[in-house]
Amino acid sequence: MILQRKQAFHSAVCRRMQPLVGALDGWRKGRMTNAVVLHTEGKILPMTRVFALATMAICASFSVHAGSLTLFASGEDLATEGFTAPQLTKDGWALEFTRITATFDQITAWQTDPPFMADGPAITGTALLIAGPFTVDLTDADEDDRVALLRVEAAPGHYNALSWALVPDADGFSLVLEGIARKDVREVPFTLRSADSVAHACSEYLGDTRKGFVTDTTGADLEITLHLDHLFGRADKDDADEMNLAAFGFEPFAAGGVHEFTLDGLHLGHVGEGHCHVSML
Amino acid sequence: MSQCFRRVAATAFAAGLCAPLSAFSHAALIEAETAQAIRLHALYDTGEPMSHAQVIIYAPDDPSTPWGQGVTDRDGRLEFVLGNEPGRWSFQVRQSGHGAMVHMEIGADAPVIMTASSAQGWGQRLLMVALVAWGALGTAAFVYRRKGGRNASA
Repeated sequence: MILQRKQAFHSAVCRRMQPLVGALDGWRKGRMTNAVVLHTEGKILPMTRVFALATMAICASFSVHAGSLTLFASGEDLATEGFTAPQLTKDGWALEFTRITATFDQITAWQTDPPFMADGPAITGTALLIAGPFTVDLTDADEDDRVALLRVEAAPGHYNALSWALVPDADGFSLVLEGIARKDVREVPFTLRSADSVAHACSEYLGDTRKGFVTDTTGADLEITLHLDHLFGRADKDDADEMNLAAFGFEPFAAGGVHEFTLDGLHLGHVGEGHCHVSML
Repeated sequence: MSQCFRRVAATAFAAGLCAPLSAFSHAALIEAETAQAIRLHALYDTGEPMSHAQVIIYAPDDPSTPWGQGVTDRDGRLEFVLGNEPGRWSFQVRQSGHGAMVHMEIGADAPVIMTASSAQGWGQRLLMVALVAWGALGTAAFVYRRKGGRNASA
């Protein structure tokens, strides 16, 4: 009985705190949202961050039961561990990343019926507009190579589609990769960056477990996944592999320094192994 | 005394091992019944089959928990029989970082043919997964029971 009252109290507090945190963040950005921000790369007001951390601390043990949806971003192990043998770039370079910043915006989770198959730019269904923009460093990830973006309250259902956009940050770049490339005796520091905006309309997450099922008593998570091998190719894949044919490799950047590249034609954005329809904005 | 005890223990252990074997040998029951089979065919847009791809099946009554799984053959095919639960069955096909999820509605009538594809443009391999009602598996029921043996289901 006491436990039930305690949980009811926590529930009431959490329900009231989450819109407050979202409202503070929304006020800063000129928009309203019910998001609890988990990672913003210092682009959130200190007071909002305090509120967010306080809410997370209070609700940590309760959020799992609150019917929430948590969004992650990942560059997989290629972002955290780099390209190492046998997974070198298609032209044989080893890459070590010190920073991979990506900025995501217009993030929306969808319940679609029939399921969206990533066969076009428009998704039809019940939309849960999340928030953005969020700039994250994909090398600063957890043990599952994921960076937590935010958590929102979500109605029960299966969130089987996700749309989002890769957009330029305040510095004008949507994706920046910094690190060191090595091949034989050569060691090349590099900064690669793209100013492109790319919209993604993605089907259901595909991976070891099926994701996106929110119930009254349990939360769920979804993941934006950037496949870096679609940018650099893979030496352990056949030269004729579609991915290797499209990928740049590292040779075009082997002079080192700062290079800009286009995301047009590259399909970095996925949901796990699930595919996305990609449109240049 | 000690050796005697060891012999007794060894004999008892051997008897324990043998007892279940003899029970199994007396009771083989194989039943086969008519059922609608589904054939899954997974391939890339190049026509190359998704050989030895992992297939995970999800039933309508518990879509977050795998109902069954299998592996496609070298031609990218897998045949199986689903349960009786009506509704949307989902099939996840994955191989070497590529994947697709396809769905099939099972009702009172025979399953409809569904073809799903995903991915677009260069840099991604288009995956095509076809699910078709393939006909019936088995036309009769067979029971094999060793004479004088016990029924394994008893």
